[in-house]
Amino acid sequence: MSSDNLEALPKGMSLFQKALSRFFKNKMAVASLFVVIFYGIVALLAPWLPIHGFEEQVLDHQNLPPSLTKNGGELLVERLRFELEDRAGRENRSLTQQENEQLEKFEAQIRSDPKHARRYLLGTDYLGRDMLSRVIYGGQISMVLGLIGALTSILIGLIVGGISGYFGGRIDSFLMRFVDILYSLPYMLLVIIFMAVFGKNIFNLVFALAGVSWLTEARLVRGMVLSLKNSEFIQAARVIGASTPRILVRHLFPNVMNVVIVFTTLRIPSFILMEAFLSFLGLGVSAPMASWGSLVEDAVGSMTIYPWRLIFPALAMVIFLFCMNFLGEGLREAYDPHSEKIL
Amino acid sequence: MIHYVLRRLFGIIPTLIIIITLSFFIIRLAPGSPFSSERNLPPAVIANLEKKIHLDEPLILQYLRYLGDVLRGDLGYSTKHTDFTINEFIVRSLPVSLTLGVAALTLALVTGVTFGVMAALRRNTLLDHGLMALSILGISVPMFVIGPLLQLFFSVYLGWLPTAGWISSRSGGLTLILPILTLSVTDFAYIARLTRTSVLEILRSDFIRTARAKGLPERDIIFKHTLRGALLPVLSFLGPAFANIVTGSVVVESIFDIPGMGRFFVNSALNRDYFMIMATVIVYAVILLVANLVVDIIYAIMDPRVVYE
Repeated sequence: MSSDNLEALPKGMSLFQKALSRFFKNKMAVASLFVVIFYGIVALLAPWLPIHGFEEQVLDHQNLPPSLTKNGGELLVERLRFELEDRAGRENRSLTQQENEQLEKFEAQIRSDPKHARRYLLGTDYLGRDMLSRVIYGGQISMVLGLIGALTSILIGLIVGGISGYFGGRIDSFLMRFVDILYSLPYMLLVIIFMAVFGKNIFNLVFALAGVSWLTEARLVRGMVLSLKNSEFIQAARVIGASTPRILVRHLFPNVMNVVIVFTTLRIPSFILMEAFLSFLGLGVSAPMASWGSLVEDAVGSMTIYPWRLIFPALAMVIFLFCMNFLGEGLREAYDPHSEKIL
Repeated sequence: MIHYVLRRLFGIIPTLIIIITLSFFIIRLAPGSPFSSERNLPPAVIANLEKKIHLDEPLILQYLRYLGDVLRGDLGYSTKHTDFTINEFIVRSLPVSLTLGVAALTLALVTGVTFGVMAALRRNTLLDHGLMALSILGISVPMFVIGPLLQLFFSVYLGWLPTAGWISSRSGGLTLILPILTLSVTDFAYIARLTRTSVLEILRSDFIRTARAKGLPERDIIFKHTLRGALLPVLSFLGPAFANIVTGSVVVESIFDIPGMGRFFVNSALNRDYFMIMATVIVYAVILLVANLVVDIIYAIMDPRVVYE
């Protein structure tokens, strides 16, 4: 049969197409997808966005509050005026001549310096760095770490689970026993030891996180391969005389991929959380680079005085994680054969 | 049944030895020593210190010595904290983490199961979507964000609860409220989702249809027939969750200044405090293995299909 004749046949919906149509009925998941895409675009375009550099320090502009309308200089004048009026208020008097002059002099001095024209939509941190820029660049790091970590751990899980499930027997029981034992170690402790011993840098961080988190993936893939390898289409391929690599790559792999993609989506937020946790312990990315986790960690100590330094990175991170999780759940439900019966 | 429990109990020992062996060599084969971060120590002093705790001996000899000590119940000395042995340290801090962990897990279990069942029974309603969004939010918000925000709101702005600290005569048990809340959020979210999924699964099954056909009241169908089966996956989740939460949370302990195990254990890992790290791993593994055993036993009681020989 030529391919022309094939196209003339009525088209059935593939599993993928069905899942896709189910996914797009889930409004929250679609909305989450758009948010995630938005985050991705902002992170990719970060170097060309009209924002300050994430490592640029303006020491005069420490801990400025967020403001849409005022620039850094105006906020400084406001801060001085507030201090003077506060002192005067406590002494039950209005501003003295001398204090008014001090204020005017300060204002003139600030006008003459172009650096005070800088604006900070989300305020600044303790070194006068722009929070907006740090949240965006921090997000870039967090997202990249999440993605690479998730992909690495899925890759290890695919290889180990695939081998274990496909070849079975002694290899299987050895690998699965190994996984069981690793499961009973406190994995975060292993990561901390690893980071403490081999030094903290981004490469070690991803490596350590992926090294402890492929276990679930391996079990998942093994279970799927076990149920697939005795299915009729695999037997048919074997009867035709397809080689083992061909069966693995052409027949098993595509069928496992759906679930793996869904799982990766759900893994990314958990990697971002783990990185954030390590940053909280001071083992994450180091200055001047930032991640959402390290930004939150920086801010926790002074949150009562400068709440914006905590709230903006926390909010950016929570919204992203929330949408990633919703997206993953949406994909999982779309691929779940049960959901068809009920909806 | 008793036979099965005994066999599992004895099975814990070889597993534990494998775990001890593995972590012993992972930790020891890594470069550095407990004294390498100490400044201004003459090499001769370091050599003496290492000799004192037998670090100069061949690794295999150290391993056997350590294994013997552990099997006799002696976890050794910390190389950083000189005031007490590791055994004393665990006796002191485990109850703290245990209290906090059990309370948080109970809270998470009760609220999670309730919300999960409610969401499943009202599938695809506003209530269901709301509850599931809430639980996804619970998974997405890290503890070190929830903790400070709770402190900011309840302690600093409202002034209702103490900011930090452990049970004292002045504040009583009130200090526990915020840490327990913080600690329970993630597990609550997981349990709610897990319960919802498995209740839905069970509601689809044939024996529920039979029960409905018999005309059983809905209340009996839910509480007698559905929940019994639906709670099994939650039960399996509880084993590892218990081990995790009871060995202490670094984040919650440092935010709320609680003298539990988590913080010391993380510091021991950072300081390469060999015996302390090993003690962590051992305590964690023992709790995990026992918790899993208990879970399996409850499983057998709850699910008549499970047969152990």
